[in-house]
Amino acid sequence: MTRRLTFNIFRYNPQDPTSVPHTDTYALEEAERMTLYIALTKIREEQDSSLIFDFCCRAGICGACAMVINGRPGLACKTLTKDLPDEITLMPLPVFKLVGDLSVDTGTWFRAMNEKVESWVHSSKKMDPTVQEERMDNALAEEIYELERCVECGCCVAACGTANMRPDFLGATALNRIARFIMDPRDERTEKEYFEIVGTDEGIFGCMGLLACEDVCPKQLPLQDQLGILRRKMGWTAVKQLFGLAK
Amino acid sequence: MAIDTTIYVRPQSGISAYLDWLQMLTGAGLILFMWSHMILVASVNLGVGAMNTLAKFFEDYYMAQVGGPMIGITFLLHFALAARKVPFRTEQQSTIWKHSKMLHHKDTWLWMVQAVTAMIILIMGAIHMWTVLTDLPITAQKSAARIQGGFWLVFYLILLPMVELHVGIGFYRIAVKWGFIKRKTRHGFDGFENILTMIFIAIGLITIVRFMLIKV
Repeated sequence: MTRRLTFNIFRYNPQDPTSVPHTDTYALEEAERMTLYIALTKIREEQDSSLIFDFCCRAGICGACAMVINGRPGLACKTLTKDLPDEITLMPLPVFKLVGDLSVDTGTWFRAMNEKVESWVHSSKKMDPTVQEERMDNALAEEIYELERCVECGCCVAACGTANMRPDFLGATALNRIARFIMDPRDERTEKEYFEIVGTDEGIFGCMGLLACEDVCPKQLPLQDQLGILRRKMGWTAVKQLFGLAK
Repeated sequence: MAIDTTIYVRPQSGISAYLDWLQMLTGAGLILFMWSHMILVASVNLGVGAMNTLAKFFEDYYMAQVGGPMIGITFLLHFALAARKVPFRTEQQSTIWKHSKMLHHKDTWLWMVQAVTAMIILIMGAIHMWTVLTDLPITAQKSAARIQGGFWLVFYLILLPMVELHVGIGFYRIAVKWGFIKRKTRHGFDGFENILTMIFIAIGLITIVRFMLIKV
């Protein structure tokens, strides 16, 4: 029994002055192991060539195809139609700038975020390409890698109530990013310097603990745990600052 | 042209952190208070004498006379602190409402419940505290008479679930926000918290019924 799926897709092209935001409906026969990526490609090839959406890797690695699927942000390439009801509503991610239809510009946002939290190892050591890299404890390397898996798809930001209300909020992805550098022994930033970046209401103390980030993350990053650890860490830094003990 | 020189001063203060600490600590304090409050009030189920003895103990050591107003201040402080996060502008309210409806996400809805119950508790809780603290000492007979009047029965039937929901969700929220509860234990803790809230509402309702039956 093949299902006939109905797709309600948000349409709006800001480049086109005659375009008005609306929803278009498409019908499609479900195929075996069909993902939303396959479905959207089929619609674009067979029904409407003007449909705009982003894709690159088709394997949940690049993070380009994030969209709101029946109300929940997720990756289209990782979402099987068999897990969805007959009627599927697709919207672009909120918070980010709309490129057109389902495509949003996450790049500008993430670039600004990475610059803001200075998302690189801060080291005063001179790199010597002739010697072997410094060794890192394997368990620690794996812990860092666990957070490094973020594909910057933007789902956690789109699902965050705080980020939707307040454009200056850093979001779980940025806080996860900082958590990763705090763990990294090569990064020489002090706790005071980290505090300056995320010890504010735009950072960890703006987080209201709604945990939608944790629940929608397509890579299942341990966001809840990292946010908790970061809040405690920054909380203690503030207390230490009070007594002049923060480094 | 005047230049605002303050923009060059990097605000290196921990103000957000201290306010967040205070919000959590006042919240945790009020949760503990509400649990103790439940013990005092529910003691009436063990007999009018049990409640009166407990109430007299609190009075004899000035816990009601001094502690009462202090709870009142903590209550207002907690409101002021938490209100920093509650949307008061229509634009933000509409954003979070649409967002919650779109997301179908329990914890986001629970936060809405927290925010709405907060506003009701702010008004009703303040009225309740004023009424009780301006009419000390607390006795089972006086409480019973108040509830049997009818108006206060409806009042407490509304306030009770509001407080228990707010306390229950707040307890859960503190635990996940500050990392006491991790991903592994979150859903188990969530279930435990729901049961706890239900038990407290049930005890509260039984206590209200008990007050209705006391001869005054």
